[in-house]
Amino acid sequence: MKLESKVPTGPIDKSWDKHRFELKLVNPANKRKFKVLVVGTGLAGSAAAASCAELGYQVESFCTQDSARRAHSIAAQGGINAAKNYPNDGDSVWRLFYDTVKGGDFRAREANVYRLAQVSNSIIDQCVAQGVPFAREYGGTLSNRSFGGAQVSRTFYARGQTGQQLLLGAYSALMRQVGAGTVKLHTRREMLDLVVIDGVARGIIVRDLVTGKVERHWGDAVLLCTGGYGNVFYLSTNANSCNVTATWRAYKRGAAFANPCFTQIHPTCVPVSGESQSKLTLMSESLRNDGRVWVPKKKADARKPQDIPEDERDYYLERKYPAFGNLVPRDIASRAAKQMTDEGRGVGGTGLSVYLDFADAIKRIGLDKVKEKYGNLFDMYSHITDENPYEQPMRIYPAVHYTMGGLWVDYNLMTTIPGLFCLGEANFSDHGANRLGASALMQGLADGYFVLPYTIGGYLTGTKLPKVTTEDKAFVEAENDVNMRTKALLGTKGKKTPTAFHRDLGRIMWDNVGMGRNAKGLQSALSQIPEVRAEFWKNVMVTGDGADFNQTLERAGRVADFLEFGELLAKDALVREESCGGHFREEHQTADGEAKRDDEKFAHVAAWEYKGEGKPAERHTEPLTFENAHIAQRNYA
Amino acid sequence: MNITLKVWRQKNASQPGALVEYTVKGIVPEMSFLEMLDTLNEQLIARGEDPLAFDSDCREGICGMCDLVIDGRAHGPDKGATTCQLHMRRYKDGDVVTVEPFRSKAFPIVKDLVVDRSSFDRIQAAGGFVSTNTGGAGEANAILIPHDKAEKAMDAASCIGCGACVAACPNASAMLFVAAKVSQYALLPQGMPEREKRVLAMRAAMDAEGFGHCTNEYECEAACPKDIKISNIARLNREFFRATLISE
Amino acid sequence: MEATPDCASKPCRIFEFLESSIGKKIMVAAAGVLLCGFLVAHLLGNLLMFVGGETFNRYAEALVSNPLLPLAEAGLVGLFLIHIVLSVRATLANRAARPEGYQVYTGKGARTPGSRTMALTGTLILVFVIIHVATLKYQLGGPKGVDLFAHVLGWFANPWYSIFYVLAVGGVGLHLSHGVQSAIQTFGFNHPRYTPLIRKAGLAFAFLIFAGFASLPVYFGFIHEPALACCPTEGGSK
Repeated sequence: MKLESKVPTGPIDKSWDKHRFELKLVNPANKRKFKVLVVGTGLAGSAAAASCAELGYQVESFCTQDSARRAHSIAAQGGINAAKNYPNDGDSVWRLFYDTVKGGDFRAREANVYRLAQVSNSIIDQCVAQGVPFAREYGGTLSNRSFGGAQVSRTFYARGQTGQQLLLGAYSALMRQVGAGTVKLHTRREMLDLVVIDGVARGIIVRDLVTGKVERHWGDAVLLCTGGYGNVFYLSTNANSCNVTATWRAYKRGAAFANPCFTQIHPTCVPVSGESQSKLTLMSESLRNDGRVWVPKKKADARKPQDIPEDERDYYLERKYPAFGNLVPRDIASRAAKQMTDEGRGVGGTGLSVYLDFADAIKRIGLDKVKEKYGNLFDMYSHITDENPYEQPMRIYPAVHYTMGGLWVDYNLMTTIPGLFCLGEANFSDHGANRLGASALMQGLADGYFVLPYTIGGYLTGTKLPKVTTEDKAFVEAENDVNMRTKALLGTKGKKTPTAFHRDLGRIMWDNVGMGRNAKGLQSALSQIPEVRAEFWKNVMVTGDGADFNQTLERAGRVADFLEFGELLAKDALVREESCGGHFREEHQTADGEAKRDDEKFAHVAAWEYKGEGKPAERHTEPLTFENAHIAQRNYA
Repeated sequence: MNITLKVWRQKNASQPGALVEYTVKGIVPEMSFLEMLDTLNEQLIARGEDPLAFDSDCREGICGMCDLVIDGRAHGPDKGATTCQLHMRRYKDGDVVTVEPFRSKAFPIVKDLVVDRSSFDRIQAAGGFVSTNTGGAGEANAILIPHDKAEKAMDAASCIGCGACVAACPNASAMLFVAAKVSQYALLPQGMPEREKRVLAMRAAMDAEGFGHCTNEYECEAACPKDIKISNIARLNREFFRATLISE
Repeated sequence: MEATPDCASKPCRIFEFLESSIGKKIMVAAAGVLLCGFLVAHLLGNLLMFVGGETFNRYAEALVSNPLLPLAEAGLVGLFLIHIVLSVRATLANRAARPEGYQVYTGKGARTPGSRTMALTGTLILVFVIIHVATLKYQLGGPKGVDLFAHVLGWFANPWYSIFYVLAVGGVGLHLSHGVQSAIQTFGFNHPRYTPLIRKAGLAFAFLIFAGFASLPVYFGFIHEPALACCPTEGGSK
């Protein structure tokens, strides 16, 4: 396998323009002859499907939910970055590029990030034109705020529902095309396999989740916009249906999977309350601007927080990182919380949380001011926990939130399978080892609106695409594979539910491949996961049949893929003998406990190639060079 | 605690359904209502029985996937919250809880508690958009929108398309949903070029789906998890009347 | 399903409006508001009964002898028909919109007694109007050969008739308790400052209409010496 990034040569600020010019154009009359399959209707998927249809391509769009509007992009709260520099505070495309590369701990491809920063402004223009109700100043101009510790105010937002509003904008653009008949929308369809003919992606196999019917769809290009794999940890802030199946199936058909170990853990989530918990809820990071994080100095201290005197509290972030205190980056805050609970100083019923205390803030700025700034977050918290954060400290704990890894793509967003593109969180390209706040929305929309619609044309004109039908051998075989798998899942008739297996996997992943990773833990995960997987295929219980609306079967299929994928994630984490961004290897840290990169050995993308059932995946590397952003170690102590 | 559930079970759209009783044991107050249903399903699957089909996804009240009418109330007893935000601490040991799907001709039942809300998508496709192609947008700050207008548009835009307005309406009317979308664009300058066309088309699509008429009972507003106001319906009425009068 | 209505011509647009869910409601509301105007005029006329039989009879005579009356009556019947026919059609469509009802339907408390009973009170009002017109306008049954005032008093002397009358105008009041503010909403007026006032004013209007109409049978049927009024003797009882 050769990883050709196809990054244009020459100065980085000209490379996208140059590349766009060099891409061949599709004759407008020919566009309708090409069919593009788009899997997923989140920001990337909806934006790409709508934009391709506007250009004249035939588009078919697929999503597992009952409506395209429900994709998980909708849950993003904070905002979307753009280098508009409206506040006149010194922002620029260059600065956004630099911050993103640095924030990603120098593990992203420079040219991709630069392009992302370049098109960020067009995204805001486009969304405003669609009627996205961004927050406004009294004069009628757009509001900005600073987000996630950025030194400039470059984040655009629509209350705490920015993801929702951007997605509804993209969804409305998509539905406009559906109404015009240029996009055929297939809801409640799950992609279960990719069809590759002569080494080129030519179709997909989907299951109609209502009738259970397995369908074959052909296309001239396939776009995977299927989101991240955070649910491999079972509990995450992802929606329940988020899964790795589409990208994993593509991997097994030959698409390289890059940097699976780059996962992001968000420090301020509502903690787990018990065994039955099905998901975790994120609260905005802004809480750490005024809240103070602490745990009791004594282990297993059962006293109420109010009864613990000041000198028996450990404000550990302020103690360990006096310069940044409670505002250290996400990964550092998360790891420190884990350290406290590992020491047995966690609080709450489960012992798996730490306090985030607003008592001092209330004293300092007053109750009203705290209410004004954080009222909605406090409401959300008390709704979930039934505790009043104005009277007693909040309890928080880190949770898996975003995955930077994904299918390897070149500068055109094409995977190692020609004709298979991957957009948004599902690809690996722009965030390196750590994503900055408010950058996920930016990337999803950049890929969908402003990158793919150009690059797909270059592919379609430059490639010979013989006519295929869904009766071709590859389609029949792929459908067969899907049916066999479904049969196997239904036929096992064991004793344990798919969710129970998912929970087992999640525990292994969280304990060993979570915030702090070490060789011993990773090896343990690598030996445990195959055991769980083996047990799964012997003892899973899937009720009902395949020709029906069967949510247990859906879940079982996704868990089965997570059980394979989790192993690759752990393996990638084991091989990457350095700490960077969200990937923290305990063996590789500075004296202050900060991540220690190894740029000599690991300034590269790791892309894994599937070599067949039972054979170890092969690790390929794409070297990363930093000619524009100067490589440097992070330091927050 | 233990709860007795009376749940609507229906194999598919063409077969009749009925309330079936289940006792769910070992519920803790921290559980969400949907986690309680998860628990029931885990027990059913372990016994080899067909688990209860119900929709949910983000489980934090924003995706609009979850529905359910709980004891006769869309999204359960809490105001301004979705079903997935309801917690079992609302209930006590021995309670009997009735769970039904959202009922409307325009939301046919798929299975058990799962309904098909694609009628909303079709209404959206009829006119719930601004016709602007990717790339054709001008500079964002060239359009000035007064703060209060933007806030009002945002109030309307926060609709999650869950369909609780339809479920709660005694007439199964979709007016609040349509009104929210029409209002968002009617309040913004971007929506002006298609102002009349949009409201006429969306109204026609709404009626074609078989939703009921609005008789101003305001149960939609009370059930809306996002507190969308009925003033939007007034605006929709106004917009429709105006468009009928002036459009060519 | 047609995505875009293709009503290029104006008559078609009007037809489409009348057929639409919103248009129907606007028409029902408009007819309802005009009927409210009639109610007010009618009530003011009726209240002349408190001034005295002669005044009331003179008013009635003036009304009947007005050549425009048949036109006004036809208009009134038209309003009733629009109001009733469109409401019935809307109600039927609403029933069809939920073929299978809820086993339990509680709601979240937005409905009012008035809003819940619109169809019921509407039907009651229709029955009442028919009886009312038959007995008091066309004077079927009741005392014969007397002036209108005596005729009305004669009917009010029947306690069952009076009770029915009070119940029916109670129905009108209940109908209006929802109808007035509902019509304003349907016309598209909703304002954070004025709407709460409109709701209160609607309730007050409904109550005044009820109290005004109900005062007649209550007073003339039960308080005012009914025995004296009942007998259509020469000259009546003064």
